[in-house]
Amino acid sequence: MSFAARMDARAAFLVLLMALVAMAGTSLLIGAGEVSPSRAFAVLWGSADSEAHFVVWELRGPRTLIGIAVGVALGISGALLQAVARNPLAEPGLLGVSAGAAFAVALALVLGASAATLRIGVAQLGALVGCICVLGVVRMRGVGDDPVRLVLAGAAFSGLLGSLSALLLLYDQRAADEIRFWVVGGLAGRRLSDLVAVLPSLLVAGGVIALIARPLAALALGERVATGLGHHPAVIRWLVVLCVAVLVGAATAMAGPIAFVGLVVPFVARAIAGPDIRRTLWFCLPIGPLMILAADIVSRVVVAPSELPLGVLTALCGAPVLIAVVRAKRLPML
Amino acid sequence: MLGTSLRSGLIGVLLSGLAMGVAQARTLDTAYGEVEIEGTPERVVTLYEGALDTALAAGITPLGAVTTRGGDGVAGYIEAHLDADRPAIMGVVREINIEAVLAQQPDLILAPPRLPQEQFQLLSRIAPTVVPPTQETSRDVWKSEARLFGQALNRENEVNDAIVEVEQRGEELAAALAEADVGGVAYLVRWMPAGPMVMSEHIFSTGIMAAAGLDVEDGDLLNEGGIHSDILSLENLSRVDGDWLFLATLNADGQDALETATQSSAFNRLNVVQQDRVVPVDGQLWTSASGPLAALAILDDIEAALLP
Repeated sequence: MSFAARMDARAAFLVLLMALVAMAGTSLLIGAGEVSPSRAFAVLWGSADSEAHFVVWELRGPRTLIGIAVGVALGISGALLQAVARNPLAEPGLLGVSAGAAFAVALALVLGASAATLRIGVAQLGALVGCICVLGVVRMRGVGDDPVRLVLAGAAFSGLLGSLSALLLLYDQRAADEIRFWVVGGLAGRRLSDLVAVLPSLLVAGGVIALIARPLAALALGERVATGLGHHPAVIRWLVVLCVAVLVGAATAMAGPIAFVGLVVPFVARAIAGPDIRRTLWFCLPIGPLMILAADIVSRVVVAPSELPLGVLTALCGAPVLIAVVRAKRLPML
Repeated sequence: MLGTSLRSGLIGVLLSGLAMGVAQARTLDTAYGEVEIEGTPERVVTLYEGALDTALAAGITPLGAVTTRGGDGVAGYIEAHLDADRPAIMGVVREINIEAVLAQQPDLILAPPRLPQEQFQLLSRIAPTVVPPTQETSRDVWKSEARLFGQALNRENEVNDAIVEVEQRGEELAAALAEADVGGVAYLVRWMPAGPMVMSEHIFSTGIMAAAGLDVEDGDLLNEGGIHSDILSLENLSRVDGDWLFLATLNADGQDALETATQSSAFNRLNVVQQDRVVPVDGQLWTSASGPLAALAILDDIEAALLP
């Protein structure tokens, strides 16, 4: 890559970072309640307005941080899953990984679980099973080679998990209030402790991803090349699957199933950064939170004084991108 | 000899005439037009919580009933009015098991308002089916529904007595609350994991709250004719900050709802919370039931919580 192109990418990354800072600020300023942007702004500069102080730091602050974490986790896991499935439409939400995590949580709730830490582990386990199913489908002849068929298989898998969750709702209506949240995700009412609980697993996954980024990029050149460079493709694939499961499980535990983010974010990142997975992953870091925060801000404003579930909005933004990707004459092969 | 038989024959004619008078068919105005019912039904199936409540208040234990919303059987407050023979479960109100109804061989079916016409036609082939002509929810609609069911059961007087009892009990409680000076603005809220839904001030239970003298509000958060608001943003919780907050979930246990809610810092900031004026209530009774027995149970709850 030329020096000029590298400079362009650096500039683009900086612009995205600044946009993210601005978006996080906006997320603190705008809400469904009576605390206006100007009152919230005054709080940021030390005003003593106690109600505005509470709304900004206790309500909007935590959900902004959780939104950033969810955006990073979903964006990165989308890019990873697409790389390992060699398919630009492989997305945790569309392929049933999130639905697997949500179903696992619903099942645990019906069986009587309620501890928050248990919920994260359960969600990550459910996501892992979902990931393995997805990769099983990818290995299937005729399905894995065709991105659109993979999405169809994923939709069927998601649908199956969705109806199983609905079945649980029928079986145990006492847990219905809780389970309903696990059908459409959102950030309303989430607490900082939810983020603190998943943070260790996010950091471990981040460390592993930093280690396998290079071999993963080599894998894109083909299995023989990667083996020739001294990497072990099978091991790398398994590590990627584990990381995706940990990330998607954590995101689902924080915000419920949120689809399309893992599709749109790597799509935009590749458009800016090119096909190299290492640079795609870097660009997913600011783009994921940008998308989640933007959608969450809209979700607070459109039906105030109530709120729209975030999952509804990401689907509204994401579906056109899916159609655009599928309609593009040549799907990029990863 | 001849005289006696003539006399007994005459008495027999007179008696049978009297019996015919009792058994005369009644014509009820229902949502699907006029329905004729003869005599006093004995095999009754209720497909609506309000009908089960009214039938029990009138002294009849139905053979079949639907589950309470969010539960596996009849509502908890109903249990106190059941003895050994319990109604069989006919499904849930939105999904009635018609074969189970048929198996009971009922001679009267009391159905929910807005029962779909197709289901009405199916059920009518089993037994006379009474669908109340209720168009929208309002505070007092339960009374006209109960009177209609009372007519169908041939127990109008019993049902009227039950309604009068509720009205008197409400007035007594209102007077007692006024004397103790513990009334004021009250909200009924159903707590969901993402935040609260405010129940309309025009539904059955908020009507009973108002009858007890509480000033029930819903913060202007509802669409016309809605039962409850959308989930309120936590930023707007102050809209339900009155003198009393009645807190329910679909679960039977209001205490669960309170525990979930108190995990939210926005909830703990409310004045009504800090003054310890949150009343956890049974969602099956408060947000799903209707009828004279439910009304009395709600009045009991209000008295227990507000008059120490």
